[in-house]
Amino acid sequence: MNCYKCGCLLTENDFCTNCGAEVDRFKRIVRLSNQFYNFGLEKAQVRDLSGAIVCLKQSLKMNKNNIEARNLLGLVYLEIGEAVSALNEWVISKNIQPKKNIADDYLDMMQANPTRLDALNQAIKKYNQALTYCRQDSLDLAMIQLKKVLSINPKYVQAHQLLALLYMNVEEWERARQELHKALRVDTNNTITLRYLRIVDSVTNVDSELTGSAGKRKKKHTEEQYGDEIAATNRKNREAVLNNVNVKEPNGLSVLLNVVIGCVIGVAISWFLILPARINQVKSDHQKIEDGYIATLSEKNDTIKQLTEEKEELVGKIGELEYSLNGYSGTDEMVNAYERLTYAEYLYLDPDHTELEVAEALNQIQDSDYLNGTENYKAAYDHLLTAIGPAASRAYYNQGMVRFDAGDYEGAIPDLQMAVKYDAANVDALYDLGNAYRLNENREEAIAAYEKLIELFPNSSRVSRAKRYLKNYED
Amino acid sequence: MAGIEINFEEELKKFHPSLEIEEAEDAIYSQDITDMADILVQMVKEAKEEE
Repeated sequence: MNCYKCGCLLTENDFCTNCGAEVDRFKRIVRLSNQFYNFGLEKAQVRDLSGAIVCLKQSLKMNKNNIEARNLLGLVYLEIGEAVSALNEWVISKNIQPKKNIADDYLDMMQANPTRLDALNQAIKKYNQALTYCRQDSLDLAMIQLKKVLSINPKYVQAHQLLALLYMNVEEWERARQELHKALRVDTNNTITLRYLRIVDSVTNVDSELTGSAGKRKKKHTEEQYGDEIAATNRKNREAVLNNVNVKEPNGLSVLLNVVIGCVIGVAISWFLILPARINQVKSDHQKIEDGYIATLSEKNDTIKQLTEEKEELVGKIGELEYSLNGYSGTDEMVNAYERLTYAEYLYLDPDHTELEVAEALNQIQDSDYLNGTENYKAAYDHLLTAIGPAASRAYYNQGMVRFDAGDYEGAIPDLQMAVKYDAANVDALYDLGNAYRLNENREEAIAAYEKLIELFPNSSRVSRAKRYLKNYED
Repeated sequence: MAGIEINFEEELKKFHPSLEIEEAEDAIYSQDITDMADILVQMVKEAKEEE
């Protein structure tokens, strides 16, 4: 112990032998600080880390130069996950006592493993982030963040407590209990942890051993964490040794039985663990292939649909073109019809051609030409027919009668038909047409011709003869 | 719940952010390390000045 005034080493006296300062009260304060240090050390030894922190802080309040207390406080901070607080204590410790200070070793240890230090710092950052999430009411994100924190540093007591609180908030009591027990394994007498655990026990009606009573708790912790861990290990070892001693040497049958059991277990593991994973893998592969096929099929369907639409469009165009072609074809027919009519007019106008030749040209004009023709076409045809009609009728009649007189009744019939066609008023042509039919033994046609004659020309001199022929047919 | 309930908001206020590496230097400098011995020395000094 050094004098607070001159720094000289103090003796048993109540004053400094160097500067004469009274050190009685100072010595008491230092002793008090040491006492708190001892309490803190005892608590740290039984993993009552939060209790140790309180005592060690108290010790340092008494005497800031208590290096042992400060170094131990750093160690306790590191144990509960507060790595930066630990570094702070050690740096101050090193500053107070630069030489022969174990804080040197601690700092070297931390600096020698920058990855570990960085991981601890990351855990702290994530914890702070989780706390921010909690205050922003993003509790799910906070839970995820805290789980990451604890995967990095499983001894982070505050993270366990906060995660337990979040679980309690959503009434996941068992998970909360698990987190609290993990926190208690690090810090056995943490007030917050114990209070939360009491609440969880109360809600779930479970009497946790750790929250039963203080004495019971202390006893249990002491047994579990320290001396009894070794005792338990030794006990297990003893039991194992005893078991080994009691076991008989296996005979051949038991070896065979063990081999069979081993095979069965192996098959079971394959069946229940490996095979399902393999099946899932194969299913996944098949699913991927199927997805590929479905995608290809979908593309093909789209192509087919597109081609079908194009085909329908082309068919439509073909229809339109055919319609146009038909229109042109119709136009061609009409051109031919006009050409025939024009030719007949040409023959009519040319004096070198007879009416019979004009009539022959008119005969080339089809009934369809006349029916499909325009009004002008029909007017021109009718005009030409009227103009040459009587003359043409006479020409045909004369030609037909030449054949009739020669006894060629069959040959006379077409000429006489044309004579009637070109001049409906040619009563002679109609009468002789009836005669030609009669003499050619075309009975029905003859009767029709005579009846038409009687109907159209009732006053004609031919009517009496026509009636007589009809009477002959009736008889 | 046997009369024991938890107020999440109130409990949350009891949690404080931990120190990060980047804040370590400021924390060291701003730490009040005055101890009882310092106070005693100050008291003795003041008493002597009064005398």
